[in-house]
Amino acid sequence: MSATDIHARGATSTRGEVAPTSGGAGADGAPSALVARTRGLRKVYRGAVAVDSVDMDVPEGAVLGMLGPNGSGKTTMIRMLLGLVRPTEGEVELLGQPMPDAAGRALPHVGALVEGPGFHPFLSGRENLLRVAAAEPLLATSGTRDAVGAALERVGLSGAADRKYRGYSLGMKQRLGLAGALLVPRKLVVLDEPTNGLDPAGTREVRGIIGELRESGVSVLVSSHLLAEVEATCTHVVVLHEGTVVAQGSLDTLLDSGSPALLVSTPDAESAVEALRRNRTPARLAPGGVRVDLTATEPSTVVETLVRYGVAVDEARRERTGLEDVFARLTQADADGPAPDAEPDHVVMREVSS
Amino acid sequence: MTTVDTLAAGWRPTRAAAPFTRLVWSELRWIFRRPRTLVVLGILGAIPVIIGLSVHLSGSADGGPPGGEAPLFVTFASSALALPVGTLSVTLMFLLPLTVAMVGADAIAGEQSHGTLRGWLLAPVTRGRLLTVKALGVAVAALVAVTLMTLTGVVTGFVLGGTDGLFTLSGTSLTVAEALGRIGITISWVAVQLFAVGAVALAISTFTEHPMVVVAGILAGDILFGVLLMLTAVDWLHPFLLTVSWTTALPDVLRDPIPTGTLTEGALRAGCYMLIGLSIAYARLTAKDG
Repeated sequence: MSATDIHARGATSTRGEVAPTSGGAGADGAPSALVARTRGLRKVYRGAVAVDSVDMDVPEGAVLGMLGPNGSGKTTMIRMLLGLVRPTEGEVELLGQPMPDAAGRALPHVGALVEGPGFHPFLSGRENLLRVAAAEPLLATSGTRDAVGAALERVGLSGAADRKYRGYSLGMKQRLGLAGALLVPRKLVVLDEPTNGLDPAGTREVRGIIGELRESGVSVLVSSHLLAEVEATCTHVVVLHEGTVVAQGSLDTLLDSGSPALLVSTPDAESAVEALRRNRTPARLAPGGVRVDLTATEPSTVVETLVRYGVAVDEARRERTGLEDVFARLTQADADGPAPDAEPDHVVMREVSS
Repeated sequence: MTTVDTLAAGWRPTRAAAPFTRLVWSELRWIFRRPRTLVVLGILGAIPVIIGLSVHLSGSADGGPPGGEAPLFVTFASSALALPVGTLSVTLMFLLPLTVAMVGADAIAGEQSHGTLRGWLLAPVTRGRLLTVKALGVAVAALVAVTLMTLTGVVTGFVLGGTDGLFTLSGTSLTVAEALGRIGITISWVAVQLFAVGAVALAISTFTEHPMVVVAGILAGDILFGVLLMLTAVDWLHPFLLTVSWTTALPDVLRDPIPTGTLTEGALRAGCYMLIGLSIAYARLTAKDG
């Protein structure tokens, strides 16, 4: 695993120790180490609970998408992870360091774009970045100018680098913020709504940058309310709703868990359900046919059963919901009460009821 | 919570921080690149020239050495000593405190409003260090403002009055070196007073993200102190007011020999304001959410 190699090299060069090649063994092939984790995290702002009992893991080398409607606690989570805000309760660990107390150890290795880009309007993009670079602990004074130039290049702002920030478009401002997060090679990059204000081309570029980061072994935490964005860039997802985690895990597992079902089109739906239930396969009527739960069975078995009972099958296909459906199901469950088919899955789904 | 299993390969980040001098330089570049700062400094630098010229042209100061204690303004025009000292004592009422308040307002409240304060904290720069850098920035800005005014005042005085007009209010005359020594004392004393204002501005700055609130606060305080100083009913309060020695201390520099009482007392009072202002700023900055 390349991320582990990077750490091993880092450890050897800085501390002269030969590092073990594997960390704590993760379950079911998940990355073995975490770049960030929270336990029992809670934040109360003047009586309003922003985040409550959140246990979140950011696996090393992953691109973790933090999803949630506005006001679901995404930014508060990020601010606590970065040590900007002290949690009311619970623990935060960033790169193995307790936050916010060990911010001086962890943060130099973390790049962040939080709550939109913050820069001074009367300075040019380059001057703004030079000011940011001056405060970067891991940047040698002689290397700041080059680092700034490279970061500007990377986000496609070289051409506008010497224009005043005041005159930047929303997208250019966002890119400059991204450049600030990428000034130094990082272990973790935290991006809060990075594609806000970007046009489709800009959004693609951000995705490209996130992809590059992942390839070079950098872990990424992206918050977004745009589902398509998360689906396109992330390997892992954590879904927040009203300040609690309603689901987290790898994107694939989450998508599958949302739809372990087979849709069978048949003119003879009633007898199809009858036949399947007799075979102890959960099924129910759906528009144009039946919906069969695939948790305990295979599509081929289902079709075979139906044919054996003489039910005409026009079409059978896996119900393939996108993240959008999963998301809607997870975040609406609270309001409507548990939906009949929203059974929390055994591995990844953890309903956190407050 | 154990930290052992959270990162592969036993990698442990070591504490790191950007060099302090680099932070200070970056801060100073930021303060003096700001168009607003430059405009205000330009105005401050022009004031001694304007005062000197207008008094000189009105001809009120065309006389020999004043006999006995003459009003401050009369000795202005033809003296490279009295002009800068007089101008500083006039601008110390409002203009100079406002300048420092502006810099103190931008230092924390202004950064907060632009979302750039978070950048410092994420780098990370510890909050104590951040306050030190900010306080140094305000101190340097105060010193630069005072020095600039003094310089243009001295130059104007020399041009208008030559090196002969270096009279004290007591009627004695000084050598150029002695005069420069007294100018040095003036610069330091005024800068210390202004830094006390700056420390209070920094304290207010940590409570708001609107720089205007800081400037208005300092202005209001300045006026309030002025009013209180006129009320004899509250004269027990006067020793606690920063501005109490502002009008009386500076003319002392022009006497021979210099009476040190008011100057020393004023400097000590400023020191107390600095201590209180910076302590409040530190307490507030370390407690606030980023």
